Amino acid sequence: MDFEFYYTKEQEEFRKEVRGWLEKNVPVGLHEAIDPEAGPYEDFLKGVEFRTKLAEKGWYAATWPKEYGGGGLSSAHKVIIDEELGSFDLPGIVHGDTGNGLFGPAVMVWGTEEQKRSFLPIVTSGKYVTWQCFTEPEAGSDLASMRTTAIRHGDEFILNGNKIFVGQLHDVDYLYTLAITAPDNPRHNNIGAFFVPANLPGITIGHLDLLVGGKRTIFFEDVHLPASQLIGGDTDGWKVTQTSLELEHGGAGSAVDNDRYMEKLLDYSRNTMRNGAPISKDPENQSALVDAYIGYQVNRLFGLRNYWMRSSRTPFTYEGSQYSLNRKIFNPKLAEIMLKVLGPQVLITDHPSAPYAGRLEYHIRNSIRIPHPGGTVEIQKLIMARRLGVSRTREQGAAYI
Amino acid sequence: MDLSLTEAQELLRNAAADFMKNEAPKTVVRQIDENPSGFSPEMWRKMGDLGWIGMLIPTEYGGGGRNLMDTAVIYEEMGRAALPTPHHSSAVTCALIIMQGGSEAQKRSLLPALATGQKIMALAFTEPEYGWGPEAVKMNATKSDGGFTLNGTKLFIPDAQVADQLLVAARTSSGGSPESGITLFVVEKGASGVSSRALSGFSGEKLNEITFSNVNVDSANVIGSVDGGWSILEPALDRATVLLCAYMTGAGAQVLDISVDYSNTRVAFGTPIGRFQRVQDHLIDIVNGVDASRYTTYEAIWKLDENKPGATESVCVAKAVSSESFYNLCDSAHHVHGGIGIDKDYGLFMYTKKSRSLYHYLGDPVYHKRRLAKLLNL
Repeated sequence: MDFEFYYTKEQEEFRKEVRGWLEKNVPVGLHEAIDPEAGPYEDFLKGVEFRTKLAEKGWYAATWPKEYGGGGLSSAHKVIIDEELGSFDLPGIVHGDTGNGLFGPAVMVWGTEEQKRSFLPIVTSGKYVTWQCFTEPEAGSDLASMRTTAIRHGDEFILNGNKIFVGQLHDVDYLYTLAITAPDNPRHNNIGAFFVPANLPGITIGHLDLLVGGKRTIFFEDVHLPASQLIGGDTDGWKVTQTSLELEHGGAGSAVDNDRYMEKLLDYSRNTMRNGAPISKDPENQSALVDAYIGYQVNRLFGLRNYWMRSSRTPFTYEGSQYSLNRKIFNPKLAEIMLKVLGPQVLITDHPSAPYAGRLEYHIRNSIRIPHPGGTVEIQKLIMARRLGVSRTREQGAAYI
Repeated sequence: MDLSLTEAQELLRNAAADFMKNEAPKTVVRQIDENPSGFSPEMWRKMGDLGWIGMLIPTEYGGGGRNLMDTAVIYEEMGRAALPTPHHSSAVTCALIIMQGGSEAQKRSLLPALATGQKIMALAFTEPEYGWGPEAVKMNATKSDGGFTLNGTKLFIPDAQVADQLLVAARTSSGGSPESGITLFVVEKGASGVSSRALSGFSGEKLNEITFSNVNVDSANVIGSVDGGWSILEPALDRATVLLCAYMTGAGAQVLDISVDYSNTRVAFGTPIGRFQRVQDHLIDIVNGVDASRYTTYEAIWKLDENKPGATESVCVAKAVSSESFYNLCDSAHHVHGGIGIDKDYGLFMYTKKSRSLYHYLGDPVYHKRRLAKLLNL
């Protein structure tokens, strides 16, 4: 076994090239957003512009085949790009969206050659924003009970329905969504998967007033969609979705650790005096901090293992959901430890005593949500049980390329 | 990066798995466990024939010259069988200490017999106040003619009941820091003044109380320098610890398999109990525990084998995680099993017993978390 990435001379040269390019091209004048999901519109625009430039270099969808608009690079190159990008504090949009993260892989497995050639360059261009829109008011964990319909009329589908808790705060160009195409078919065999231009007549996108994040609600009202926007067959949507869900449920793993909350927590605790001693010297605090560190290491290793499994094409069973579950349990635990060790200062954004200029407050709010999107804690457990072979339902990992 | 085993390691794993299946089924393991010696000379000989006993010992001293990763492959399989064996005490812990701190002459005289299994050695470190830090060594060794005289008690010493020799940590000077003043001695168990008694109770290993009463040890039997024992022990015990973690990982993996099988075959309310989400919750806790233990352990092993920075931090993480996971996952397995879980013929208890006695061995989670806090400058 070997837990480290090694780079050839050529790859180290590549790192220098990436670094040099980033230093010249990373957008300047970004705002210090207290809430990384609620940055201002002008930062979003700068982010999209920047990732388009990144895509022109072949570094946005780095490992995707060149004929589909990717960079055609190795996963080692991709890790280098992610590491270098990670050292800048950039808006989330720069690192990708559900277009190249979830929709693209599903098209690679289930799309026709023609669809690959027309859809993939859109999500690999960096220029267009895609949102995955699955959840509905009546269909969260029980995704298959969705009510949105897409009824075929010759060469087009007519969409009607409502999606919620999807997307992001600012603009969108395409929606990757699911709808019932065959209302009389049995469950799971009645769904189609679609790639929908967001500017079609009949689509309304509304805001939600949420505790955290910029999630949106979307209404489809007699939206006429060309049938060429259907991925797979009319009723293949559930299978198509499994490919994206496998990734969303932790199957992509993580090679680069961009979450700096752990480091921030330890650093702040070492260097901040409270009542005459560093915070970390209090035995209760010290023990909580070490527990956080250990939990963090386990989570990091699960992510690394999944990354390795995917890049070495090792078949998955429960591992994707195990990583997701672990993260969804660990993250709120970490928030509790932050609150316990650092005090009410972590709840405040605008006082000098707030650690890291108020940036931990977001983590406290976010940790309340983390257990739910992309499959709740309970759903991850359900999937794990199926794949351990004890449920009534038996299943294997979804198809992937 | 590559988290798979090499082809050679796969072969080794298959050979070890076959061996455990054929030679160490649960009936045999129980017989060994119930025998007062807790030892099967026949099994020991067979393991020696396969070259497994001395695998970690360098070839120039009669061993197999394998690294920790290769050895861990065998350890996972031994754990799967819950095999009682003095292997870890003798051919890992004591051998590593001698490899770390012994003179060339000592290595030549001591290691070959440990490598073949002809001799068994046990580490006598802990005392009635139990602990794995340097401050826990209180037993005195006083300078005498040509050597030292040992007086005191060592407690909870695994495998001493079958050992030929003991590797004893004793205090030769005090007043300085706890790390200084510890000296390591090789003592024949049959030496005059050494008496040992196996303790009864709920332990996966036979634990012993060893009393030293005016035991004379020649200076030639000091490992490393006088007062300098801790600097030998600390790195050697780190290496021994990760193999113990591999054993706990393998044992946990077997507990998972046993529990999944039982969940699929035990019927209640007209359905296999694995269909119940409350039961599934326990199985998920088990698999999460096994994998946390496995990957923290293998990362630590890789760092030690490859001299990577941060190896000691990783050892602390691995042992804290493995001790806690193994303990808790055995509890979860008992919840899955109910009454049959405490049936001795069923055999789950062999693992549970190990999860209790290995919890503290080579340092409990609190000990390793304190070490970690120090290493992280908290």
